[in-house]
Amino acid sequence: MNVAFYIAGGVAVVSTFMVITRAHAIHALLYLVVSFLSLALVFYVLGAPFVAALQVIIYAGAIMVLFLFAVMLLNLGREARAQEREWLRLRAWIGPSILAAVLLAELVYLAAGGGAGAAGLPAPASIIVGPKEVGASLFGTYLLGVELASILLLAGLVGAHRLTREEE
Amino acid sequence: MPEAGWGAVHVVVMLLMPLLLAAGLVWAERRLLALWQDRYGPNRVGPFGLLQVLADAVKLLFKEDWIPPRADGATFVAAPAIIVTCVLAGFAVIPLAPGFVVIDLNVGLLFLLATSSLAVYSVALAGWSSGSKYSLLGGLRAAAQMLGYEVFMGISLMGVVMMAGSFNISRIVEAQQGLWYVGPQFVGFLVFFVAGLAETRRLPFDLPEADSELVAGYHTEYSGMKFGLFFIGEYMGITLMSSLITLLYFGGWLGPWLPPVLWFFIKTFIFIGLFILIRASLPRVRYDQLMGLGWKIMLPLGLVNLMVTAAVLLAKG
Amino acid sequence: MADVPMEYGLILAAILFLLGLTGVLVRRNIIFILASIEIMLSAAGLAFVVAGAHWGMADGQVMVIFILAVAAAEVSVGLALALRFRRLFGTLDIDAADRLRDR
Repeated sequence: MNVAFYIAGGVAVVSTFMVITRAHAIHALLYLVVSFLSLALVFYVLGAPFVAALQVIIYAGAIMVLFLFAVMLLNLGREARAQEREWLRLRAWIGPSILAAVLLAELVYLAAGGGAGAAGLPAPASIIVGPKEVGASLFGTYLLGVELASILLLAGLVGAHRLTREEE
Repeated sequence: MPEAGWGAVHVVVMLLMPLLLAAGLVWAERRLLALWQDRYGPNRVGPFGLLQVLADAVKLLFKEDWIPPRADGATFVAAPAIIVTCVLAGFAVIPLAPGFVVIDLNVGLLFLLATSSLAVYSVALAGWSSGSKYSLLGGLRAAAQMLGYEVFMGISLMGVVMMAGSFNISRIVEAQQGLWYVGPQFVGFLVFFVAGLAETRRLPFDLPEADSELVAGYHTEYSGMKFGLFFIGEYMGITLMSSLITLLYFGGWLGPWLPPVLWFFIKTFIFIGLFILIRASLPRVRYDQLMGLGWKIMLPLGLVNLMVTAAVLLAKG
Repeated sequence: MADVPMEYGLILAAILFLLGLTGVLVRRNIIFILASIEIMLSAAGLAFVVAGAHWGMADGQVMVIFILAVAAAEVSVGLALALRFRRLFGTLDIDAADRLRDR
């Protein structure tokens, strides 16, 4: 089962790298879908089958379709791809890559137990947290968050509708 | 060793069964449509036209394997593969008999919803990668239709899940020992059936691929075996939806005297026949009527079903 | 489920998050910037799931559900803005919007 985690993690990293380096918008978004699918597999391996399915249904299956719709309607052609390749020359990558590498070194150090108080973590629980527990927690402890999330989605709906309306 | 042996049998059966059923459906649909439309179907190739499937397959294989010049090659070829993969993956959690399932997932129903979400990509990518405006329009319409109806499909299924107390399909079937869920969940069944028709893009919801609209929608530019894969994918989708209706609303393999597998297949075939009957008899729905029906009628019905189910279950303690 | 140490899960989340961050810093096209933001949100979700799995509690998954809702709302508004941007400036280059007032 651990092998599945490493393989899925590797696929996620590689496809995410492809997302940020592609010049073709649709290809980049398809790599992003692959990345989300491998993340869903990682969730499942870690004992979270409910959010694994939700990740596929909502993130990879609805949000990314919305992305694809928008890009398909934007009709980015050959000139746009040439423009992207122009912008993506190696010079642009040096600064952000160095900063990201520094941050990564920091995070790995902290995660591996370098900071204070991190040494005494117990072993992982290794149980499967199923939909029943998630539902009880979601509508018990976090009920207010659910209501706020629904208001947020309503706001997003109204906002998106208003923004794309033609000016009369 | 016997464990792994049985597992292999399950996998092989669940890979072959949908493919063979879909191939048989090619013939069965045309004969049944002909029966209900008062004409002969294919009856020349072999006894009762049974070899028509073989003739169709040979014809498709011999066609030129062509990709339109302005098309996006890799995506164009991948799109039909996506739909077949997603539908076959969905069959992995369908139990034919108690214990006969490839993997008895505890979130089996969610897995099925996930695979049908991924099937949206096949139509959207097919429409876009063809490089033609009719395909793109058809693809976007089909994708919007599938996305919308998926919502009500999920909501209507939640009623079944609440009554059975689990996402595990085998457990849902076993919970129907006393009373099939079509009784208490009749509204949910109707919503799920309509959503299933829309998800598989069957008449009356087949505007995206209708021959009299948008040429042929998202599979205008497809020919040969790639079109064959779309075709087979649609029939496998019908089989998957019919199996789901049997399992979730009509007691799956439960029934007297006959072996459970036989009951499952009898009920599934009845629903496949129902899908074909609906195609033979109903006119096509216009796109705005389709979306209006979905969001303005099916969604409130599904939500009301959910609320009433929850209220009754809470009241019964 | 898997006996993967918490550190490996967090390191995976960190790598993905920083890849997304690099994407936001490097790319000039709005669509790619939005996609990189999605990568970052998803990586944060992974960190939550790792933490929840470690303690065997459902709270990690609950946070991921909220992240999904937030991402959905943000993507719809963001893409609507991108379409308006394109209509207004004729390009998706984010550097084209470099003034607070019309030219």
